[in-house]
Amino acid sequence: MENEFINQRFHITRRHFLGKMSLGLGSVALGSLLIPDLFKSGDDGLSQLTGLPHFAPKAKRIIYLFQNGAPSQLESFDYKPLLNKMTGQDLPASIRQGQRLTGMTSNQAKFPLVGSHFSFKQYGKSGAWVSEIFPNIAKIVDDICFIKTMHTEAINHDPALTFMQSGAQQGNRPSMGAWLSYGLGSENKNLPAYCVLLSRGRGNGQGVYSKLWSNGFLDSIHQGVQFSSSEERVLYLKDPAGRDRQDTRKMLDNLAQLNDLNYTDFGDPEIQARVQQYEMAYRMQAAVPELSDLSQEPDHIIKMYGADCLVPGTYASNCLLARKLSESGVRFVQLYHQGWDQHGNMVGEMPLQAEDVDRATAALIMDLKQRGLLDETLVIWGGEFGRTNYCQGNLSKENYGRDHHPRSYTIWMAGGGVKPGTVYGETDEFGYNIVRDPVHVNDFHATVLHLMGLNHEQLTFKHLGRRYRLTDVAGKVVNGILA
Amino acid sequence: MERLSRVVLNLIFCIQVFLLFLLFAENRIDLPAWLQVAGRMHPLVLHLPIGAIVFLVVLMLVQKDNDKVVTHHVIHIGLLLTSLSASAAALFGFFLSLQSDYGPEVLARHKISGVLLSFLCYAALLLHNAAKKKSIFFGIGILSCLVLVFTGHTGAVLTHGDNFLLAPISKSKIVLTADNASVYKYAVEPILERKCFTCHNESKAKGGLIMTSVDKFKAGGENGKPWVEGDPSASRMIKAFYLPLSEEAHMPPDGKPQLTRIEIAALKAWIKSGADFEKKLSQFDDGDSLKSMVAAIVAAQPPPPVEEQYTFEAASEYVVKNLNTPFRTVLPLYQNSPALQVDFFVRKSFEKKALDELSVIKDQLVVLNLSKMPVEDKDLSTIKLFVNLEYLNLNFSAIKGDGLAELGGLKNLKSIALAGTAIGAGSLGYILSLPNLRDVFVWSTKISDTQLDSLSTLYPKVSIINSQFNDESILKLSKPILDNEGVVQSNADIRLKHPMPGVAIRYTLDGSEPDTLKGLVYDHPLKFSETTVIKARACKESWYCSGVYEVTCFVAGLNPTQVELLTQPDPRYRGQGQASLVDRRKGVPDVLQEPSWLGYRNEPFVAGISFAGQTATVKQIVLSYGKNIGAFCFPPEEVEVWAGENKNELRLIKRLKPDQPAGNEPQGVRALFIPLEPASYSYYKVVAKPVAKLPAWHNGKGQKGWVFIDEIFVY
Repeated sequence: MENEFINQRFHITRRHFLGKMSLGLGSVALGSLLIPDLFKSGDDGLSQLTGLPHFAPKAKRIIYLFQNGAPSQLESFDYKPLLNKMTGQDLPASIRQGQRLTGMTSNQAKFPLVGSHFSFKQYGKSGAWVSEIFPNIAKIVDDICFIKTMHTEAINHDPALTFMQSGAQQGNRPSMGAWLSYGLGSENKNLPAYCVLLSRGRGNGQGVYSKLWSNGFLDSIHQGVQFSSSEERVLYLKDPAGRDRQDTRKMLDNLAQLNDLNYTDFGDPEIQARVQQYEMAYRMQAAVPELSDLSQEPDHIIKMYGADCLVPGTYASNCLLARKLSESGVRFVQLYHQGWDQHGNMVGEMPLQAEDVDRATAALIMDLKQRGLLDETLVIWGGEFGRTNYCQGNLSKENYGRDHHPRSYTIWMAGGGVKPGTVYGETDEFGYNIVRDPVHVNDFHATVLHLMGLNHEQLTFKHLGRRYRLTDVAGKVVNGILA
Repeated sequence: MERLSRVVLNLIFCIQVFLLFLLFAENRIDLPAWLQVAGRMHPLVLHLPIGAIVFLVVLMLVQKDNDKVVTHHVIHIGLLLTSLSASAAALFGFFLSLQSDYGPEVLARHKISGVLLSFLCYAALLLHNAAKKKSIFFGIGILSCLVLVFTGHTGAVLTHGDNFLLAPISKSKIVLTADNASVYKYAVEPILERKCFTCHNESKAKGGLIMTSVDKFKAGGENGKPWVEGDPSASRMIKAFYLPLSEEAHMPPDGKPQLTRIEIAALKAWIKSGADFEKKLSQFDDGDSLKSMVAAIVAAQPPPPVEEQYTFEAASEYVVKNLNTPFRTVLPLYQNSPALQVDFFVRKSFEKKALDELSVIKDQLVVLNLSKMPVEDKDLSTIKLFVNLEYLNLNFSAIKGDGLAELGGLKNLKSIALAGTAIGAGSLGYILSLPNLRDVFVWSTKISDTQLDSLSTLYPKVSIINSQFNDESILKLSKPILDNEGVVQSNADIRLKHPMPGVAIRYTLDGSEPDTLKGLVYDHPLKFSETTVIKARACKESWYCSGVYEVTCFVAGLNPTQVELLTQPDPRYRGQGQASLVDRRKGVPDVLQEPSWLGYRNEPFVAGISFAGQTATVKQIVLSYGKNIGAFCFPPEEVEVWAGENKNELRLIKRLKPDQPAGNEPQGVRALFIPLEPASYSYYKVVAKPVAKLPAWHNGKGQKGWVFIDEIFVY
């Protein structure tokens, strides 16, 4: 009781007191901004607090086209003719090297190799190999940098996906987008810095969960904002019938006064955060309709992305919306396209999945390019791991499936600071092991942050007594893909 | 006390004389070993006068008039100590300087200033008691402090090297990369700089070896050249690394940071490949161990970011902060960059004033994004003020092109985006000759392809970027969709829609497929009194018609007095029991745990529909079921309808075998139509039997199928 009384008298609880102390330190730090480097040691972790890149960035924004479920690299971009010759033969132990397998194929008596059902050709000046089911991506290979040698530590979807998104396999860390929002802030104060768009293909799917766009231990303002797949992209954003914007303004002003009173009483910083979020929502009421109205897009843009881009919730419409969000200064637009988990029926499902993403993905790159935005936007396409070179289940003449393969897989990037028209790294003839230039997930993260002008070792947040990074204690920038 | 003081005073005097002698005669002295030890105590002793002088200064500043006598006494003792330690430090310094190789110039400065300090301290000591010469005493005191700082600094330069003090804040201007620097400069010298330079530099050259300058390094030290080209194991330098730590010749000496294995390996590789100072990485053979080693180092380090060197001053933080509004973001390009980027957002909120206000940062503005803002040609006269502008985005703004003439002075402009504006080829001429211009984006403007081609030949160094997309192939439209959701009321407006303007929707209600000729054109909302299957497709000129959209529009029918379940669903899929059948909520075909669904497998679905107390003519019953082939959810194998006046006196009035799928079919919620002879029974019983054996083509062939029902309609 006495304690409560004291708290009340001081408008402050122990927790808030400690919190405020750190604010006090913050204002000292702010004071040092007047003489910028006064308290700056050469390599402290505090410099990111300015919300600016550590050095001149190559890219200002990211669009991450996440292919959820792990698209097969062997049916898309990593051409392995040897597998076609050796189809049906067992995977040599010298290649497998005791690699652990998932529970889905570890009981198989044999691991028959299987080549791609789809034919490959070389395209562009770079001569990159692309499968026939990606005819439109094939046309833009000279803008793309393929990384053939991604590898990860996880072998199942959830941990691998979480690892790819947050640099840790357990879902308690901030996602990439949250780190970027924390490190660079929002360019456009009328929109969240981190937006998430979901779509679902026609193949075997794996779920996505909101923990993937979590802010983890960062401030909740850095959380990804999931856009709805319905026509109303941000739910409950419209004013209710019969209330106009002036009324909302008045209501918010009065509410802010009440919240202020409450803040003087309790000193809880979350109250102020809430007021800010109301203000943001109010401004989003103006900004979002301008963005999500696709009916104003000219016919040739519709044709470029494909007719599906007008159907809310499709991958194509998410690509178009991603372009519009990115164009409006959203730092990180994250798409998840589900349905790439082809344990069986590769022949049936893979072309459908490819058809869903091929045209719109290529369109997004071209669209950014013709607007002069590709130079400052980094586009990433890829999944959480690769697929095995051997068949899961029955290998028949007509069909086959592939299991999870963490040792090597292909992703690609385009735009902002990435060397266009390149193929980085090489896997062996079996498409199983990496022979040259491996890129670990941590390296990938370090590189992406580098392109955004952030030193991955300096972008830290202190939590539970130690400093955390997106790359935790590892990660090297992959210089070979930098333009 | 008095006597002791006199002894010390005399001792100090003797040292001053000795110092004066040493200053001129040190070359003729051969130092005995015990004095060498004294010399090595120089670093210890030298800190005593520093502390003492600081103490005296503080004491004199805080002394008060009322305790003058005591203070005077304390100061006198302090001065004695200072003078004694300063003289001793200078003396020991002489001894030390005779043992090691230090750079002659800095050493001379340090030596003379040290002796001077010693003299000054002695002078202060003598003057302290002379009451009349106060001002001289203070003058000497201040001078001593200055000399102390100088002596201390030159001493530090001797021990730590030239740039030790300011190294953390002085940035090297030239960024070395593997491309612009020799392998020696890039990879070898940094190792030497970290581990060797502190003792082998111009001001301190242990063993006569100076490594900081390439020429002197090549010349070697007292023992000759530190390496033998091509033979690391014969090289003195490498040998010194490998000697036991206790050996005096081991380098770096015990107590200093040692070389790592990798650093030694790199130095060995450098000697092995000929100890060349000029060769660049690309000039080495592929097999060279140094090349692969340096390549690994290069790969491990991110390339130093290439930062534009801006010569203009940064704007004040206050000004930048005040320019930020929700619709205008002003940010430095990166930390500590004077260059600013400005973005405008939300077209409706744009004001011309907001652009004019930027004139306060006209020198710093480097990136300006006005994309989609209603900026007009006359506004470009504001933009011409931004002389350092490099990137200008005017995509989809309201400019027509004449205003571009204003931008002729933007000598730094690198990129201008004009996509989606009404500019013509003529106005591009104003800017294409700008000296630094690289990219112009003109997609979706009035400029024709032929005009672009001729401009590209006229201005070859500018890339004029137009449409990236030139695909003449015809595409398929997306399908139209039903606007209504869930169960609709009888005779409510049923709307079909398509997101693309100018699309014609054709539909049928009889199960046949509509196309450009067949079917009705949708031009007004439809009305149904019963559940109806609509088939529709969208068509538009220069597009292929969409695929057929098939949807069941569920319409609410009669309201029975009661609907009851006569058999219980599988315990896993119980839904809300019989209430689920008439709640008019539709199930989702792949979320079978949802409360809308009732799932049956081991026994048939049986429901009773009672019209007790009302007379209703029933002519059709519709079962709404879920089809999900992968999840074993099939249409019922057989359906029966029984009717009668009450629950116990029923007779079979209808038996139906629905069509079964012959292969994989899309999942969905479907209607099973059960037409009846119109009649007015007061009780109906509907039986739906799950498929007993799934067909051979299915994964679960031979197993039982499921029947999932979410709603029952009566008309």
